[in-house]
Amino acid sequence: MLFRYYFLRRLILIIPLLLGLSLLTFFIARVLPGDPVGLAAGPQATQEIKEALRREFGLDQPLPVQYVTYVLDLFRGDWGQSLYSRRDVSADIAVYFPATLELTITAIVFATLLGVPAGMISAIYRSQLPDHITRVLALFFVSFPAFWLAMIFQLIFGLELNWFPIGRRLNALATPPEAITGMYTLDSLLRLDFGTFALSLQHLILPALVLSFGSLASITRITRASMLEALDKDSVRMERALGIPYRVIVTKYVLRSALIATVTIISLEFGWLMAGAVLVETIFDWPGMGLYAVESSLRLDFQPIMGITIVYGIVFSLINILADFIVGVLDPRIRYG
Amino acid sequence: MAETPVLVQPDRDGSPRLENFRRAVYRFRTNTLSMIGLIMLIFIVVIAVTAPYIAPHPEDALGKTRVTARLVAPNAEFPFGTDNVGRDIFSRLLLGTGLALQVGIVIIVLATTIGVTIGALSGYFGGWVDEILMRLTDIFLTVPALILAIAVTAALGKGIINVMIGIALVWWPGFARLTRSLVLSLKEEPFVEAARGLGASHLRVLFRHVLPNALSPIIVKMSTDFGFAVLTAAALSFIGLGAQPPTPEWGSMINEGRDYFPQQWWVATFPGMAIFLLVFSWNLLGDGLRDVLDPRSRR
Repeated sequence: MLFRYYFLRRLILIIPLLLGLSLLTFFIARVLPGDPVGLAAGPQATQEIKEALRREFGLDQPLPVQYVTYVLDLFRGDWGQSLYSRRDVSADIAVYFPATLELTITAIVFATLLGVPAGMISAIYRSQLPDHITRVLALFFVSFPAFWLAMIFQLIFGLELNWFPIGRRLNALATPPEAITGMYTLDSLLRLDFGTFALSLQHLILPALVLSFGSLASITRITRASMLEALDKDSVRMERALGIPYRVIVTKYVLRSALIATVTIISLEFGWLMAGAVLVETIFDWPGMGLYAVESSLRLDFQPIMGITIVYGIVFSLINILADFIVGVLDPRIRYG
Repeated sequence: MAETPVLVQPDRDGSPRLENFRRAVYRFRTNTLSMIGLIMLIFIVVIAVTAPYIAPHPEDALGKTRVTARLVAPNAEFPFGTDNVGRDIFSRLLLGTGLALQVGIVIIVLATTIGVTIGALSGYFGGWVDEILMRLTDIFLTVPALILAIAVTAALGKGIINVMIGIALVWWPGFARLTRSLVLSLKEEPFVEAARGLGASHLRVLFRHVLPNALSPIIVKMSTDFGFAVLTAAALSFIGLGAQPPTPEWGSMINEGRDYFPQQWWVATFPGMAIFLLVFSWNLLGDGLRDVLDPRSRR
């Protein structure tokens, strides 16, 4: 019962957090220097044109009024319009968000599939060669600038080896599956369109792989550390004394307690990867939140940026709560207060 | 009177802190990987300092162009080739080393200063101070640092200085959280109570007794964050928010090379390798530092 109340409270607490966040982004957008209107209107725009634009977007109002209007609209589902394209921010996000989500989920799956076994190997062969190799490799991959690695991967696996397409979510000729979730791979599967599924999967693998490298090091490190801790327990000595095969001890008893820390870090990394997607999306022309954020920032188009940060804020908070929830299920000893 | 032999004290100068430090140095030196990282890093610093003298074409970093030698592939005169306006990429990389180091250092020092101050005040005084500062920290932690950094830098205006400010302004919450938790546990220690009892002021207790004992984890975080800070700054420059031409900033050099990739692969490839080398050597070093300074990961 306590459990349920705890998470309900956490969910409700997101709201003040988002209000604070909207205030922060509003501050960034309106109070810091920079002339968005001048940029949107173009260099030739006269003072009258700029004034008209300012009036149209309500930028001539006093700041507190602007903020209150913004927040009220936010709750009504009106996220404002781009100063540049005049499209609704909420409509844009509805298109871009699933693309980023698809990319990030795939990347975190890759990072987990690579990182958890690597951490386990590292722990089992503590201070031996496999341990050293995995540690160096993990540090190696996390040290690359993601955008640069993306370009190199495009060159090697796309252009030279021709294994993967090098950008966008589908071919120019292919039609995207009719949207259910907005994630092409999932939608095409749900609509039993296996041709499109294969195609979208092909487009997805390379960017997701590059993105996953950013999280490899921490997932490996945490898995290793918590595995070591779990392997040191008296219970493991006991199980070995009882003659249970080492492999069974590791997979059945050690892994479960070791994975608790890993789950926490994976969920945190999910958020980081979502941010890292900004760079990978830029290189792979992946029409997601990151590309949207970069383009809007360069144009000082703050309405989309404010919307994007709110969406990230919601996702981040939900993931944290979800992680606590999973940990609570894995480890029943944890008390909530 | 014959002198009775006393127990010979080992040669120590009495300061336990110094002795801890010596032990840490010893443990660090036995870590091959960290030593490799350290040597690579010293090498990079030497390059940064001597770049103006060893670069074959130092004037290329200041905007000199060679119309006749545009996009020349790597050869004897231009070891890493030339870019789209004929500048020697090798020289520009060498001369950009100092800037890359500076960017990382400035970001981390700024972020640490802000974060440690906020975290220390929050943890030490508690109550409404803690409440306000931590809610502020929470807000920053709700959004990925990169996204906020892009927004802040864009609002401040393009330029490498603004990149550093923008990143530091979103980087401090991690340090604040860490410092707060350290201070929270330290302020319950008897020596803090003793210092207070002797009449030491809050500020003195905080800076003289509490914070010095919280130093190790903070240093570890500084060292592990340095690489990420360099990568983030390079990313912002790559996007186009950072150093403007002709500054030889590695991230923006990759950006310039992107249009000529992959036909003229050298323009973007070598700056990327430079960033990688700096971050990798630092990460090797930081991994060793963590082993030495963070007792929990010492295994």
